[in-house]
Amino acid sequence: MKRSWSDVALSVWGVLVFLFLFAPIIVIIVSAFNTGRLLVAWDGFGFDGFIALLAKPAIRDAVWVSVQTGAIAALVATVLGTLAGIAMARHPGKWVFWFIGLLLLVSVTPEIVDAVALLPWLVFLGQDLGLALFSDGVVRLVVGHSLFATAVVSYIVRARLVGLDAQLEEASSDLYAKPLTTFRRVTLPLAMPAVLAGFLLSFTLSLDNTVIAAFVQVSGTTPWPVYVLSALRSGLRPEIASVSTIMLVLTLVALGLVAFVLRRAGDSATQIARTMTGN
Amino acid sequence: MPRFALAIPAWAWLVTFFVAPVAMVVWFSFGYKPGIFGTHANDVLSFDRYLEALSPTFFTTFLNTLWIGLAGTALCLVIGLPVAYWMAVKAPPSRRGLLLALVMVPFWTNFLVRTIGWQVILAPEGWLSTLLQGVGVIDGPLDILYTRTAVLIGVVYNYLPLMILPLYVAFDRVGNPLREASKDLGAGKWRTFARVTLPLARPGVIAGVLLVFIPLMGDYITATVLGGAKGNMVGQLVASQFQTAQNWALGSAMAVLLILVIMVTVALGALVVWLATLPFRSRNRLVLGEPPSTRAAPAAPSGADSAADTAPAAADRVPEEVAS
Repeated sequence: MKRSWSDVALSVWGVLVFLFLFAPIIVIIVSAFNTGRLLVAWDGFGFDGFIALLAKPAIRDAVWVSVQTGAIAALVATVLGTLAGIAMARHPGKWVFWFIGLLLLVSVTPEIVDAVALLPWLVFLGQDLGLALFSDGVVRLVVGHSLFATAVVSYIVRARLVGLDAQLEEASSDLYAKPLTTFRRVTLPLAMPAVLAGFLLSFTLSLDNTVIAAFVQVSGTTPWPVYVLSALRSGLRPEIASVSTIMLVLTLVALGLVAFVLRRAGDSATQIARTMTGN
Repeated sequence: MPRFALAIPAWAWLVTFFVAPVAMVVWFSFGYKPGIFGTHANDVLSFDRYLEALSPTFFTTFLNTLWIGLAGTALCLVIGLPVAYWMAVKAPPSRRGLLLALVMVPFWTNFLVRTIGWQVILAPEGWLSTLLQGVGVIDGPLDILYTRTAVLIGVVYNYLPLMILPLYVAFDRVGNPLREASKDLGAGKWRTFARVTLPLARPGVIAGVLLVFIPLMGDYITATVLGGAKGNMVGQLVASQFQTAQNWALGSAMAVLLILVIMVTVALGALVVWLATLPFRSRNRLVLGEPPSTRAAPAAPSGADSAADTAPAAADRVPEEVAS
């Protein structure tokens, strides 16, 4: 069968848009191997940028701060979000409406508003109330990064459990399991794929968070994206692209794991895509 | 134990670190900046900061942001809709997973880094500029970087995946049987698209537009990297009041105004769309049957829109389309 011109046009458009989507990423990956002094000007091929990760303590520290806060923020968001998601799915009531309203509010508020609001708030908690904890750089970053991630984990866990029948839990309590045992042995394993996916998503969200991090960070604990943002003013060097390429690979590995976990749990490609965009 | 006991930790966390800070910003917005060294004071309350935020100096930035927001969302829809349709309907089913994964990669690449990628591409001394000059499309170096056009390219690029993904999900849900039924009943492909596929994919269009427009309006990074002085957006304005001008009262008022502008625009947009599609909807009524009981419970209910939930049911049963 001959393909109609509209089908051909659609395919061409599709390919063009995919090229558009990948253009800057390819540029960054290519620039990672630039040996010149400036990111924009190509000089020669080499691995100088990657060596900078080892040679420059500022870059090394920034990456380490990012990974560290990413892991802690993901842990906080996963614990809070999983509990909330289970509550929404298994103990529904009028309260769920209000709670989802709060989560929606968290998701749609522009990041810059969160950022400018958190800065004075953390200063207030840390200095005016004397809670020294909130003057710690890592704590501040974790707080800032965990907000949106908590909402995302809550959605994912709720969606997974709503789709599964509560009969198993009822059976468990009929067999005289205590509520805590049922939770630990039945509910949590059922929710596990969503919990793992939520953890990894929170980790990557935190790794990428720039706006909130730029406001709440304390000098000394600068995460990687904020380092890049400040490099923007002082001149971008190829090492920025090199480290970003490494971070991209890290993110893609984490996301590949998410897809793998969800696939094993029986989700279709479309469902995986929905979960991974948080809706 | 109350039913919401397990949600209390998350609730407390979000109230402490989201609701309280934002409420404080709203409170600040009614205050003023006392002297050079103070950042805010609230002993005299007024709406003066809002008037100040809407003075001609800042008002142009608000207009600029709204223009970029509307144009960017429209462009995302126009560019993304055919792609999503192609992915969900025309591409071979075996490749759809791969195509979806390819849309996710830019979405999950660091926002700042991919925007820097555009800065490299659009730079006057960059390779695109050299290429275009070599071919003879332009005479001088490419003069796009640090203008509003550059910001528009940047936001369309950055938010396009957020448009494609919900549209793909919506088109995927419509399913082939309905399109075939429409064809069997004598409709051409354009008619099928306009009268069957697109109306059923409406929840996806709405989701996509909201997912793009709302974060786009509050964008700070794209304009910072690509906008320079000419392509200012409200996000930068807010940030500069907090970081450099140290005028927290004015910055807070701007932040509150930004949220209000987003909410009002979404409400107005919904009203306009509702009015504009009124004649279509009265002509093009869908009568959907009850979902058959044999159908297993969907694994991931969307919950986003009640209309979205009727779509999979529709795929099982051919609805009677009543056209007058």
